[in-house]
Amino acid sequence: MAQVYFDDVKEGQDIPTLEKTPTNRTLVQWAGASGDFFELHYDKEFAKTMGYPNVLVHGRLEAAYLTQLLTDWAGEKGVVKKMSVQYRGNAFPGQKLLIKGKVTKKYQKDNENIVELEIFVENPEGQKITPGSAIVALPKK
Amino acid sequence: MTTDSRKFAKTLDEVKTYLGKKREESMEIDGTVIRAYCECIGDPNPMWKDTAPPGLVTTAMISSGAMLIGVPLLYKRSVAGGADWEFFKPIKKGDTIHTSHEFSELQEKASDKGPRLLMVYKSSHKNQKGELVAISTNTIMNY
Repeated sequence: MAQVYFDDVKEGQDIPTLEKTPTNRTLVQWAGASGDFFELHYDKEFAKTMGYPNVLVHGRLEAAYLTQLLTDWAGEKGVVKKMSVQYRGNAFPGQKLLIKGKVTKKYQKDNENIVELEIFVENPEGQKITPGSAIVALPKK
Repeated sequence: MTTDSRKFAKTLDEVKTYLGKKREESMEIDGTVIRAYCECIGDPNPMWKDTAPPGLVTTAMISSGAMLIGVPLLYKRSVAGGADWEFFKPIKKGDTIHTSHEFSELQEKASDKGPRLLMVYKSSHKNQKGELVAISTNTIMNY
């Protein structure tokens, strides 16, 4: 993967999109890895009692995809410094999710080359179900 | 069989008694932990060999610990509302991460769908040298 440099980043530019299709298997793996065994994420009958048609993808799994979006882009010399997300919509297993980001601001502060981004997870209906923001430091040429 | 592992409170005051409650946990970050995380999310980046992806500490370890504080819910439905993370140092293979979770804030809100609670958990993550590697906040919506 080629290293991205602060010099080459433009405000308003999109960063490369990640595609993810979490399955029931992914949710079980995530439950095991995270220790989050809330029934909403593997028991369809339980999900129905809460008003959902199916089990839900863990919000934190979507957040994990967003950190991958950032680390893939920032490369070995880039550093993810901050990230925040809001869980506004639901994702269901089997749906193709697009993990996206756009540069909103770049500046230098305390000898660091800072890039601010808008990030979000988009569902197949084109809705931003998990919007957020991030701050990344990038190397300079 | 469908189970429900959650605990419920009868009154808001009962939930409030949990404010400030903490839970500590530790996790050794070995190659297996890093590999399990990367396999699960599908992140084949070769950078994650001796260094853990930042998503690991925040997303993989936090859930169980904060929930184990055992704060009861007031309403039937609960979902994650939002979260934020600040990363200070990379986590390396071989580190032991000590996490402290706190049930730090409770907000009661009215909405057109009825009352809801915002339950805020704050966590800090330090390595075996006592260096702060990350802090995070997670909000659970209960309605």
